[in-house]
Amino acid sequence: MASTLQAYAGLTRRRYTVLGLLSVGLLLSLLLDLSAGPAGLGIGDIVGGLLDPDSLDMRHRVILWQVRLPDALIAVVVGAALGLAGVETQTILDNPLASPFTLGVSSAAVLGASVAIVLTPAMPLIPQTAALPALALVFALGAGAVILIVVRFGGGARETVVLFGIAMVFLCNALTSALHYVADADAIQQIVFWTIGNLTRAGWWEVAIVSACVLVIVPFSLRHVWWMTMLRGGEGYARSAGLDVARLRVQVILRTSVLAAFAVCFVGSIGFVGLVGPHIARLLLGEDHRALVPGAAICGALMLSAASFLSKSVLPGAIVPVGILTAVIGVPVFLVLLAVQRRMR
Amino acid sequence: MTRLSLEDVSVAYGRHRVIHGVSIPPVEDGQLLGLLGPNASGKSTLLRALSREHPSSGRITVDGRAIHEFSHADWYRSVAAMPQVPPALSALRPVELVWSTARTLGLGLSDRALGARIDGLFQSLGLDAVAMAPLATLSGGKRQLVGFALAMIRDPDLMLLDEPTSALDLYWRLSLMDIVRDRLSTRGGVGVIAVHDLDIAARYCDCLALIHEGRLIATGTSAEVLTSAHLSVVYGVETDIRTGPDGRPEVRVLRTNRSPQ
Repeated sequence: MASTLQAYAGLTRRRYTVLGLLSVGLLLSLLLDLSAGPAGLGIGDIVGGLLDPDSLDMRHRVILWQVRLPDALIAVVVGAALGLAGVETQTILDNPLASPFTLGVSSAAVLGASVAIVLTPAMPLIPQTAALPALALVFALGAGAVILIVVRFGGGARETVVLFGIAMVFLCNALTSALHYVADADAIQQIVFWTIGNLTRAGWWEVAIVSACVLVIVPFSLRHVWWMTMLRGGEGYARSAGLDVARLRVQVILRTSVLAAFAVCFVGSIGFVGLVGPHIARLLLGEDHRALVPGAAICGALMLSAASFLSKSVLPGAIVPVGILTAVIGVPVFLVLLAVQRRMR
Repeated sequence: MTRLSLEDVSVAYGRHRVIHGVSIPPVEDGQLLGLLGPNASGKSTLLRALSREHPSSGRITVDGRAIHEFSHADWYRSVAAMPQVPPALSALRPVELVWSTARTLGLGLSDRALGARIDGLFQSLGLDAVAMAPLATLSGGKRQLVGFALAMIRDPDLMLLDEPTSALDLYWRLSLMDIVRDRLSTRGGVGVIAVHDLDIAARYCDCLALIHEGRLIATGTSAEVLTSAHLSVVYGVETDIRTGPDGRPEVRVLRTNRSPQ
C-alpha cells in the first residue's frame, strides 16, 4: 500500500499538471481572441506579429498592437484579478456565494461610474474618460474600506461581514436608481452599457495598471496558501494552530477589495467571473490553496478571455458586451464539471 | 518534564464572568487531568483559557512560566488544543489538512519525516484508508479522529482535549484514550481533557476537577471527586457508586432527582 506521502505527492503532481493544462488553455484562448475580427489575421500571423512586429504590414501591426492586444490582455488580467479575489473571499468568509461583488465593491463602482456619467456634462473641464474610471475606483475602494471597518471593529464575524456586504449592495443600487431617476436618456443608456461590462475601453495604460495591481497582490496571496488551506478545516482548528483568523480576514478583504476595484473600474461590472471562476478551479484542483489560488486566477482569466473571443465572434461585425457572455458560457461549463465530478465519485 | 498549575483563574465574556477563581493543584508530568461538569459549566471556556485562546485573570503556568511568557511559535508548537467540534465538512482531505497545519506550525520537518509522522498517526487512528477522502464524505467519528491527529501532529508537551471522544464508538473511545495514556506514560507531558463520560474519567484520569456554573466544586482523585453527594449537586442525578477491582469508582446512574430546567 502506498504511503501517505506518496499518495499526497501524486495528488499534488496531478494538480500541477491540471494547472499546466489550464495555462496552455489560457494561451490558446488568448491567441484565438487576438485572431478574432474582420482584419484577416490568422493565428500564424498573430504569433509572427507578436514575435517580430516588423513581419506585419503597418495596418496589421497597428490592429494587433494598439487595438487587439490591449483588449485581449485586459480580459486576461481582469479575469485573473476577479478569480483570485473570488477564491480568497470565499475561503476567508467560508461562504461559497461570497465574492467582492457580494460585499458591494462592484455596486459601489457602478454608483461611482453613474455619478461620473451624470455629473461630468456639468463640468466641462473634466473629461469623462478620466472621471469615469477614477470615480468608479474611488467608490469601489470606499466600499472596501467600509467593509474593512466592519471587519476590524465589528468583531469580524463572517455572517456580519456578508450581511453588511449585501446591505451595501442594496444601498449602492438604490443610489444608482436615484441617479437613473434624475438622469437624461443618454446618461441612462451610458450607465446601462457600463454596467454590463465591456473590454474594448481598455488601452495599454489600463492593462499596465491592473497588471501591476495583480502582481503586487499575488505574493501576499501565495504567502498565505497554507493558512487558507488550513482554514478549510474550520476556524477552531486554525486558531488552535496559532492563526489569528480575524487579522487574516482583514488582510484578505483588503487585498480582494483592491483587486476587484481596479478590475472593474476600467471595464465595468463583470461580477460573475469572481463567483464561478473559483468554483471551477475548486472542482478541478481541490482545496489545497497552493494549486487553488493560481488555478482560480487562471480559470478567471480563461473564462474572460474566452468570453472576449466569443463577444467578437458570435455576431459578425458586432461586439456583444462581454458581461453577458461570461454568464452564458460560465454556467454550462460549471454544470458540466459538476456532473462529471458527481459521476466520478 | 512538564508541570501545569492553575491559581485563582477567572474568565469573562465581556462583563459576564463564566469562570470564578478556579485553582487546581499542580498536574505533574505524565498525568492526565479530567474536567467534569454539566453542559455550560465552563469546561470548554477553561480549556480555551489554558490554550491562550481566551484571556483570563489569575495565574496559569507551565513549568513555572506564565503561559503568556511563551513565544507564539514555541507555544503553538508544543501545545495541542483540540476543539470540541470535529473539522468542517469540506472537500479538503485529511492529509491536506494535517499537512497544511504542520507547515503553518513550522515544525521544521522534511517532507519525508512529516509524511512518516502522518502515516504513523493515521495508522494508529485507523485513518490510513480515508487519508485521501474529502472530509465531507467522512463520518463525524472519523472527522473527530482527524481532529485528534491535527492536535498530535506537533508532538505536544501539553494536550488540551475538549470532549475528544464525544462522536466515537466504544472501540475508538477506549483506543483514543489508550493512545493519550500511553503517550503520557512513555513520552511525558501533561494532558487536560474535558469529558462527560464518568467511566472514561474514572478509568483514565489521574486527577479530576468537578466544575459547576464556573466554580470548582471538588478536585482530587476519582474516588474523592466522584461521590454521590457531588454528582447529585452538580448533575441532579442519584447514583450508586461502588469501588471496582482496580480501586477506581464505578458510577451507576439510578434516576434524576430534579425536573429539567
